[in-house]
Amino acid sequence: MTFTEYLTRNYDNLLELGLEHLNLVLISMGIALVVGLPLGIVAHRNKLLRNPILSTAGFFLTLPSLALFAIFIPVFGIGAPPAVAALSLYALLPIVSNTATGLASVSPAVVKASQGMGMTGYQRLLRVELPLAWPVILTGIRVSTQVVVGIAAIAALVGGPGLGTEIFRGLRSQGNASAPNLVYGGTLGVIVLALLLDAAFVLIRRLTISRGIR
Amino acid sequence: MTTTDTLTQADPARSGAKPMIELVGLTKRFPGTAEAAVDGLTLTVDEGEITVLVGPSGCGKTTSMELINRLIEPTSGRILIDGKDMTHTNPDELRRHIGYVIQETGLLPHRTIAQNVGTVPKLLGWDKARIAARVDELLEMVGMDPATYRGRYPKELSGGQRQRVGVARALAADPPVMLMDEPFGAIDPITRERLQNEFLRLQQQVRKTIIFVTHDIDEALKMGDRIAVLRNQSHIAQYDTPENLLTSPADDYVSDFIGTGASLKRLNLSRVRDIEMATDAPTASVSAPVAEVRAALLASSWTSLLLLDAAGRPARWVTSRDLARADQGAVLAEVGLPVEAIVEPHATLADALDELIASNVGCTVVVDGSGAYQGIVDLETIMTVVRTVRDEYERFHLAQKLAQQPADGQAR
Repeated sequence: MTFTEYLTRNYDNLLELGLEHLNLVLISMGIALVVGLPLGIVAHRNKLLRNPILSTAGFFLTLPSLALFAIFIPVFGIGAPPAVAALSLYALLPIVSNTATGLASVSPAVVKASQGMGMTGYQRLLRVELPLAWPVILTGIRVSTQVVVGIAAIAALVGGPGLGTEIFRGLRSQGNASAPNLVYGGTLGVIVLALLLDAAFVLIRRLTISRGIR
Repeated sequence: MTTTDTLTQADPARSGAKPMIELVGLTKRFPGTAEAAVDGLTLTVDEGEITVLVGPSGCGKTTSMELINRLIEPTSGRILIDGKDMTHTNPDELRRHIGYVIQETGLLPHRTIAQNVGTVPKLLGWDKARIAARVDELLEMVGMDPATYRGRYPKELSGGQRQRVGVARALAADPPVMLMDEPFGAIDPITRERLQNEFLRLQQQVRKTIIFVTHDIDEALKMGDRIAVLRNQSHIAQYDTPENLLTSPADDYVSDFIGTGASLKRLNLSRVRDIEMATDAPTASVSAPVAEVRAALLASSWTSLLLLDAAGRPARWVTSRDLARADQGAVLAEVGLPVEAIVEPHATLADALDELIASNVGCTVVVDGSGAYQGIVDLETIMTVVRTVRDEYERFHLAQKLAQQPADGQAR
């Protein structure tokens, strides 16, 4: 069976796996954002906590992905939950560090002027600092997403959903004539998904970054 | 009687004006430093006046200003605005009622010009229509067409325009008090000059009580109704009007700071409209017959004659040699020298002198708003003013000394 034949026959299956994969990425990124943005803000505002936060977030990225997935099996069992937990941790560092860096790059004059006009600390954060840091933060989210899309394929090893299942099915059936097709099919799916997400980020960038700072 | 009159005339600001900003023993000690950054600053600013804090860098002038809107909390001392103690009120609330302009402008780059100008009104909860109307009014006021600039972003403006928007933003909620920290410091000299003039004109309209920080004594002399020359730790070396600062500096520190050329600087304080111009210069119409022009020139004690065009605007300077050429067939409007040095009555004497030196005939022509000839300022006119001003102030200080003696006598 040629690769083209495989694709035409398995189109539905790959699409379904792709959507599972996307779902896994989105949920993990959602959790990483909810945790990462506040941590980044704290890291920017509190000099004492800055290094502990950044190095902890960095630590997770140094762990081998398989080990990180495995760590969560005793806690969450097999399937999607340990995958989500591990992926969220992987996504954390670029979000946290870019949030902190982005906030630090906001012009001190702008912050001083905002304060001098009578904005409260909270208003300053929401109306001035975060919007100005947003391009850098968004870049962090984009990098995280790319990392997570790739690593999510390994989630199949802990019974997780997504395109990884196709890849590992192919790897397990070594010697079978259709095995390479499965591996290539899953990989192609991951690449397409990554490209689509990247395109989505280009659009988000256009829509959410003020013309004044583009 | 005469003495009293001179005194009130020379110092009108102190009589009847209401104190708007009062700083009492304002002190700031940063943790871990031996010396206080600002040490016991006591200063009163009257309503509607511009007080300039001027001093070398590191003297604490910016810190002093930031103590007033409590961007830096004072260690001790009190701040009174319009008689109310602001030392312990909510700082955010306080700042919404004090206009604030800084050197780097600090415009919000992600917001449009309209949103920037409307920042404080929005914080104060004004409704949209009121904010929009106020924004347009302010942009007009600082000389920017609302329809053109309302929707632009700060990066699309020049430095001078950004600073104008900064001033408009500070005026947005019509605060009685404004703090301006080197607002024109980062702008090229020509634009700075123009912004200073525009701002002084604007101030005539809005009459805010302003504290203005600068390190540039020339800017201080130009902008200030009163000037506080500061030395280390914001100690006031002299708090006085620009005229008094130039004519009688309190000590060597002040005169060093004013620097050389105090007499030249004084020229910045007098305007052409306030002095007596020479009006006896011979003039004639460009279209007049050459013989008539020559007669006018010969009848005067001048060596050149000013030709005016049909609208009475200065056209050319001609000498008798130029007239001789006109006799030989040259057109009158093309002989002689073009009039280059022209000022309007609101120009300072320094401007006039500047033009005069650069001109080719050694005098500056004064014209009214429509460009019509009014008179001539030459070196002699300017010298007379410098001498008179110096004499007047010497008399004034002598009178002040004399006025104190009888008072002492009565006390005894």
